[in-house]
Amino acid sequence: MFILRSIFVDPWPFWAGGIIIGLLVPLLYYYFNTALGVSTGYGNLVKIFLPAKNLQWIKTKYAETFSWRVYFIIGIILGGLLSAILSGNLGITTEMGRFTAIAGWPGVLNAVFFFVGGILLGLGARIAGGCTSGHSIHGIANLHISSILATIFFIIGGIITANIVRSLFLGGAW
Amino acid sequence: MDKKLGFLAFGVLFGFALSRVGASEYDLIVGMFIGQDYTLVGVMVTAIIVGALGMQVLKKFAQPVKSGEPLKVSYKELKKWSIPGGLIFGFGWGITGACPGTVLAQIGEGKIFGLFTFAGMIFGTYIYARLKEKQPDL
Repeated sequence: MFILRSIFVDPWPFWAGGIIIGLLVPLLYYYFNTALGVSTGYGNLVKIFLPAKNLQWIKTKYAETFSWRVYFIIGIILGGLLSAILSGNLGITTEMGRFTAIAGWPGVLNAVFFFVGGILLGLGARIAGGCTSGHSIHGIANLHISSILATIFFIIGGIITANIVRSLFLGGAW
Repeated sequence: MDKKLGFLAFGVLFGFALSRVGASEYDLIVGMFIGQDYTLVGVMVTAIIVGALGMQVLKKFAQPVKSGEPLKVSYKELKKWSIPGGLIFGFGWGITGACPGTVLAQIGEGKIFGLFTFAGMIFGTYIYARLKEKQPDL
């Protein structure tokens, strides 16, 4: 079954992923009049996991704790799980590509490294008003200036730290 | 369609696509930033083009929104903090090799360190909420 294998087992070509992800933008407007976006839902997670109920921003913006944004987040996790199950790649792993392969750090340091990077992602997304899905895909597809500008600086930031990490911790290899 | 169930279903599709195309791979995201692998540039450019064309088609519909209400495209206004915010986000993107959507697919696939990126993102959002108490225009 070539077609099933192409969908569920083999990695997709870039355009296949691009088409599905791009179609989400008009589809979410058609069904729910809602913009594609993931990072705003992390505010719901703050309300769920951290003592933040009295913070003004959480109170006003996240009146409903378990809103559709939480369901979207759960769905994306399940999508990754489904992909791993169907392609036979499911398994709990402490690998993170060439980073864990080359840097060879103890697990605790790796955890701190990714946690600190995560803080920058969460903080930056809120200050910039969106992330790769909300700004870079949804926003640029709608030709929003703020999204084009934000995306340019997302990329500049990524180039800076990825190259620093590469030369400091990955020995410039790769 | 119930909005919560609908987003759950579209989330599954989104996560599945991110995972299948390799967007949940550290090597592909960081590889893009160090000029070694442009797969994800192709994914993003295709998604933007398809999204833009899709929005144009949608606007031609007599009823662009299924329920019949007028189409309301969400616009994020440009603020003085947009550029530093974008840079901070980018720093995190280049360090973790993940973004707020792809880290979720990583977790689904069983990548343990994705959980730390995810926890950091929640904490970073919490820091934002605290900063915003003192700096309302953030």
